[in-house]
Order: sequence, then structure tokens, then C-alpha cells
Amino acid sequence: MKINISSNSEWNEEFLQKIESDGPWGNWELYKLAVQMEENLIIPDFEGLQAPKHLPHLTPLPHQLEAAKQVVEKMNGKAILADEVGLGKTIEAGLILKEYMIRGLVKKVLILVPASLVSQWAFELNTKFHIPAVAQRKSYVWESCDVVISSIDTAKRAPHRDIIFNQEYDFIIIDEAHKLKNNKTKNYEFVQNLKKKFCLLLTATPIQNKVEEIFHLVSLLKPGHLGNASLFSEKYKGKGKNIIDDEHLKELVNTVMIRNRRADTGIEWTKRHVETITIEFSPTEQALYDAVSQFKPISDGTKGSAFSALTLQREACSSREAVFYTLKNMKAKYDDPSPDYTAKLDDLFTKVNETVQNSKAEKALELIKKIDDKVIIFTEYRATQLYLQWYLQQNGISSVPFRGGFKRGKKDWMRELFQKNIQVLIATEAGGEGINLQFCHHLINFDLPWNPMRLEQRIGRIHRLGQEEDVMIYNFATKNTVEEHILKLLYEKINLFEKVIGELDDILTKLDISNIEEYLIDVVGESKTEGEMKIKMDNFSSLIQFAQDMKEGEVHAATGNS
Amino acid sequence: MQQQEIHDFLRTYFKANDCEILDDTPSHLTVQLTIDMDKELMNRPFYWHYLEKTGGIPNPAAITFITDPERAPAELKGERIHFGSPRLHQIIQSTKKLAGYTRLFEYTPPVKGGNHPLFPWLTLNVKISYQCDRKKDIFMSIGLNLISGEIIEGFHKRVLPVKVTPKIPDYSFTLSPLIMPKSGLTRLDTYIRTSFEDDDHSWAEEAMRRWQDDLKLLEHFYKDIDEKSESYFTEKEALKAQYEPNIRISIINGGLFYLSDRALG
Repeated sequence: MKINISSNSEWNEEFLQKIESDGPWGNWELYKLAVQMEENLIIPDFEGLQAPKHLPHLTPLPHQLEAAKQVVEKMNGKAILADEVGLGKTIEAGLILKEYMIRGLVKKVLILVPASLVSQWAFELNTKFHIPAVAQRKSYVWESCDVVISSIDTAKRAPHRDIIFNQEYDFIIIDEAHKLKNNKTKNYEFVQNLKKKFCLLLTATPIQNKVEEIFHLVSLLKPGHLGNASLFSEKYKGKGKNIIDDEHLKELVNTVMIRNRRADTGIEWTKRHVETITIEFSPTEQALYDAVSQFKPISDGTKGSAFSALTLQREACSSREAVFYTLKNMKAKYDDPSPDYTAKLDDLFTKVNETVQNSKAEKALELIKKIDDKVIIFTEYRATQLYLQWYLQQNGISSVPFRGGFKRGKKDWMRELFQKNIQVLIATEAGGEGINLQFCHHLINFDLPWNPMRLEQRIGRIHRLGQEEDVMIYNFATKNTVEEHILKLLYEKINLFEKVIGELDDILTKLDISNIEEYLIDVVGESKTEGEMKIKMDNFSSLIQFAQDMKEGEVHAATGNS
Repeated sequence: MQQQEIHDFLRTYFKANDCEILDDTPSHLTVQLTIDMDKELMNRPFYWHYLEKTGGIPNPAAITFITDPERAPAELKGERIHFGSPRLHQIIQSTKKLAGYTRLFEYTPPVKGGNHPLFPWLTLNVKISYQCDRKKDIFMSIGLNLISGEIIEGFHKRVLPVKVTPKIPDYSFTLSPLIMPKSGLTRLDTYIRTSFEDDDHSWAEEAMRRWQDDLKLLEHFYKDIDEKSESYFTEKEALKAQYEPNIRISIINGGLFYLSDRALG
């Protein structure tokens, strides 16, 4: 076999030049040193990891080292790192990158992460890995620096986009890669067109809802690995998947994906304590909730109307401000609304105004005072976030907000304020990802997301490596509302909190419920009576239970055979 | 590489570059840089430019390297240095730059009435890298006798114990090479290339196979699309960059050694 051989002739030319001009010649001691050091830097094997030798101050965990080794030796440097939240995917990525840089296979690197994580990545790569990574702030950085960190949103925009496509990258890392689950988005298209010699996709939730998501993710990394689009959907979409198919898919996916679970790592984790706190509405809050429950903006009983009533109900469980905000948008939606519609809305506005109290906020205040330590509050609604900040301040408690929309610098600043001076951080969903707050161990879910994966991400902000205390999670649920139904079904009946999130992942995939959130909206919103809803929810939870039993059965069978 | 080796390396490096060692303990090493070394290592061109313009008094830096933090005094300020630290790699690069080429003569004590002939040897220390999506290196040191044409491997190791000096010693004289350095370099290059011809190159065959496998998947992925998109061609290029096997020869350093016929034993 013919292998291309290259050498450079510069040395020869300069050497002949030196003979011509009789020197200057290098010192013997330095000459010997140069050889001695180079001999030290020789990497005698294709296999094995060099990086740990170069990083004496870093003590990677066994599962992290194993992951790095597997990516380099078995996956040829292209992998999805899908460890559960908090197991140190960044460390794994850093190890792998360092390995390739030491071996001289990688020089130019592009790292795309959520804006809130840019500084943190730069800090970790520089301090833990001695990789001179630079956060992209000026446009010349793309060309002049070898290792650049940026958000996708910045990178995909002009003029950056064109500059990036002109660079020859050796290595691309994408954090929070589950955001690329949809192949119709601009972000997906952008990443698809990047030249990916070596590539790592990092996500804690490779499948959030649909099995297609894993197809799109894998196809970014290794197009064709799961077949092409038409073949894949023919095989898996819509059909009740049987287990053999799934096993086959799983096997294929596992050749490009590493997924460590908490339970497998053998690390002693601090515990999670979950406490549900039931809150009772005050009379005015109850009146508002009842009013929005009756609300049918367009009385044809379509799905859309159930959806908006449900949205308002959920908001009413959070704050009157959240309801007000949505109502305002609904009012602005039509240029020329019917008098009936306007009257209905006005009636609701009156109810909002009549609400004089937020029972949940009162409860939260009481709890925060009792905890007397750092607390994170998560809410789904920005209006609630603003209200809570105001309310806590009225009661002498300082807090900082956190949102996905904040600029990077502001996010870093808020995190630091919270760590150093401030007792409470109030975050909305979008701000939940990509911020590490393991110095705090109390979390209040002021309202609950309907997608359990998102809840896991919330908890993952504090329950991760580096957390030294047991983690306290307080779930607020208002009595006799949709919220209570969801809490009972999703979070208590299926014992979500005791489960490892990966299990739920498996179960949902097996069940072929393409979108758990849509399903729940359907159950809660479309049921004619309480009784009907209860039956549907019971069905759903026994389905989950069944899938889980089946899974355990498999495990037992497997151990039995071995 | 052990911390002790790094410590020794630093000491040798700075001594060889005429820097005064201010403090040398098992845990740390403090050196006073010369102006040249400050320019080489401290990366502050503006400072030096400013001094030269204003005619100020140069004040080159002193650096403390902590090689054993466990034993170093707690209040000691300095740079912790270890195998992976950027500073160490900077100094290694600097060493290679400063000692890329050498010319040395064997030192023999003058003997009454005796004249020692010294034979010219051309030597190269090289790193041979086998590279695909993985990589490994081989170190090779060879020397060519420019009179006889003999080539020996492991030259560096054999020349290490020989006492050498940069100036031709009294009562020694050099023999003129029959092979010119330029053609000597060509002979060495040919020798290196044939040296790994018979090596086991299954690594390259396996890389080609991985490449072909991924190419097949890629073709399949884009099978139903008539007009191939740009991403198809990008992916194809990426696979080439990832897997294509090649062998790279890089010269660490080399030079001319004038040695007596007994020098290499």
C-alpha cells in the first residue's frame, strides 16, 4: 500500500546556509536538551491516553477517562457525549481535545456553547486543561486564535458565518446539542455545513420527545450511520416499535454515543430530598382560576381553545401577573375583536385586578426565611419572575434574576452576585440550562414544567459533581388545579424523583409517545369531566408502569442468562 | 517525565543560556534572565521597544519555577511548572530553536608530536509520525560518515559520551569530506524513507477501511438526493482529513561532528 510521505526541506536549506557562512552553531548542552525533551514528547503508541500525564492537577473520574479512551480508540474522534446531567461531560470533552492536541492531530478548534457558558468553558479549558481557548468577542478572533468559543447564535450570523466557513477546523465541540434535534432550523443547517474532522456533541438529553431527534443528532455527526431520512422514518416512525427493532437501533446508536448514568459511575452522590408543598388559593385567587377555567375565547371547542384555557390555568397557579401578560397579548392579537370576545377578556382583567394576594409567593417567602441559605426559584413565567423579585425585595430579601435572553457578561455577573452576596436567584426556564450552581442546594419549583426532562435539567443545575450537600427540592402545587393533577400523575405516581432520568428516557422511547407534553395537554384539556381525566391519567401512569416493569424484566432476563 | 527531570532540564537550559541561577533548591529554581532570554521568553516586545527608544536602564525579569509544590515554602511566589504546562513547552520550543544546528569537534588532549585526524559525520535526529485519525511517533537518530559513506543508527546515543568542543582543538585537523553535505542530506533522507518501508503498516490499511466504511454511509445518506448539496462535499473532505494515512518526517536537529576514528567505539 502506498502511503503519502512528507517532510519539509526548510531545515536542509538553513543548514547548508550555515555551512556556507560558518555558523552560528547551537550550543552542545542545548542540542542535547532538545533531543532529550523531544524524546520525552514522542508518543510511541496509537492507543492509550497521553492527556492525563500532561494534567497532573486534574484527577478525572474513571468513567470520564474511559469515555475519553473510547472516543479516541473506538469512535475515531466523533461522538455524542450524553452522560446524565452533572457527570462532567465538559471534563470528558476537555480530555479528548487535549489528547488530540498533544498528538498534534488538532490545532484549530471551534467550540459552540450556549451564551451563558462561553466564559465558563474558556475558564475551564485554560485552567484545568492548559488549552489557550479564547471567548469570541471581536471578529478577528476567528482567524487569529486557534481555539475559539462562541455561541451558535453569534457564529451563524453574518459576518461571522462566512469567516467561520473559511477556516479549516480540525475539531468541533457543540455543547447542549439537543437544541439541534430539529433538522429544519437555521442552527442545524449551520452545523451541518461545518467541516467536522473530529467532532463532539454534548447533551444530557439525547432524546427529549421523539425518536427522530436521535436520528438528526447522529446524522450531524456521521451522516448515514442510521440510514437516510426516508429509510429511518419508514422503519421507526409511527409504527408500534417492537423491541428487536429498538435493540438494533440502540446498538447502532451506542457505537457513536457514550451515556454514563449516575448509578453506573460508582460515585457517592449526595441525596435528593423532595418535598411537595400544597398551597391553597385565597378566595380572590380561586375566583381568578375559576374564571380562566371557564374561559372559551372562541366557543367552537377546538383544540386551540383548550390550549389557551390551559395556559391561563397554569399561569393562574403561578401569579396574576403571568395571567395579565397573556391576556394583554390575547387582546392585542385582533385588530377588531368581537364585542363578546372583548367582554370576556375585560371580565378576566377585572378578576386579575381583584386578586390581592399571591399565596405561593407568601409560602416561598416563609420557606426562604426558614432555609436561611441560598435558594434558587424556578418559574416558567417571566411575569412571575419580575413579580417575585419585587415581592421578595418588599420583604427585605435580595434576589437576582436569570434568563436565557441575558447577554453573556450579565449572566456571569448574576451568577457571581448570587454566589457572593445574594440569597436568592430567580430563573426562568430558558435560563435554566447552562449554568452551574452547585454552591447552592435548595431549589424551589414555583411552578412545574410539563416535560420531565426539563425538570431534570433544572435539578441538574445544583445536583452535579461538586455538590457536597444533600439537595433539597420543594415542589409547589396549588390544590385542586391542573397543577396538582400534573404533579400527582407525572411526578408522584411514576415516582419520577426517585428514578434516574435515563430510565424515563428509555421508557418514553419504548412507549412511542412522541411528545409527552402534547399528550398531557390533550388529556387535561380535552377531558370533558374530572372523572374522564382521572381515568386517562391512570391509564397513562399504568402504561409507564408497564413499560418500566418490562424493562426490569429484560434486565432480569439478561442477568439470568449470563 | 518526572518533576526532577524538569528541574534539571530548566537548570541546564538557563545555564547554557548564560542566566544566573539565584536560588536552586529541591522544590524550586530562581533564575535571573539575561536581556536576550527576557526577549526570548517573556513576550513583552513593547517594553523592550520602549526601553530602546528612551534609553532607559533594562531590567530583565527574574523567574521562580516551582517544581515541587509540596515542598516549596508556602509564601513562595512563582510559576508552578509541570509536564503539560505551557511554559515548559515554550522553553522546549525555544531549546529546539536555539539548538537546531550544531558543529562540534572531538576534544583530544594534546600529545607531543601527534596530530589527530578528525572524520566528518553528518547527523540528523528525526521524529517519524504515522498519522491517520490516530498518531504515533518514532524517534530516529542517524549519522553518515562523509568520507566512507557508512551510515549508523542510534548516532546520538553513541556521540553522547564523547567529549566535544565548538572549536577545533590544537593538534587536531579535519579531513575534507568526500561526500558533500547536500548530497549527504539526500542519502540520509533516502535511508530514513527505506527504514520504515518494511514496517507493519496495518494501521494505514485499517484507517483506509474506516474511511471507506464512512464514505459508504455518506453515499447512502445522500442517495435519494439528486443534486448533491454542499454539505455532502464538505463531509467528504472531512472524512479525508480525518482518515487519510500519511507519514511525516520532521527534523528535531542535526549537524556536523568531527570525530576521531575511535570516538564511536
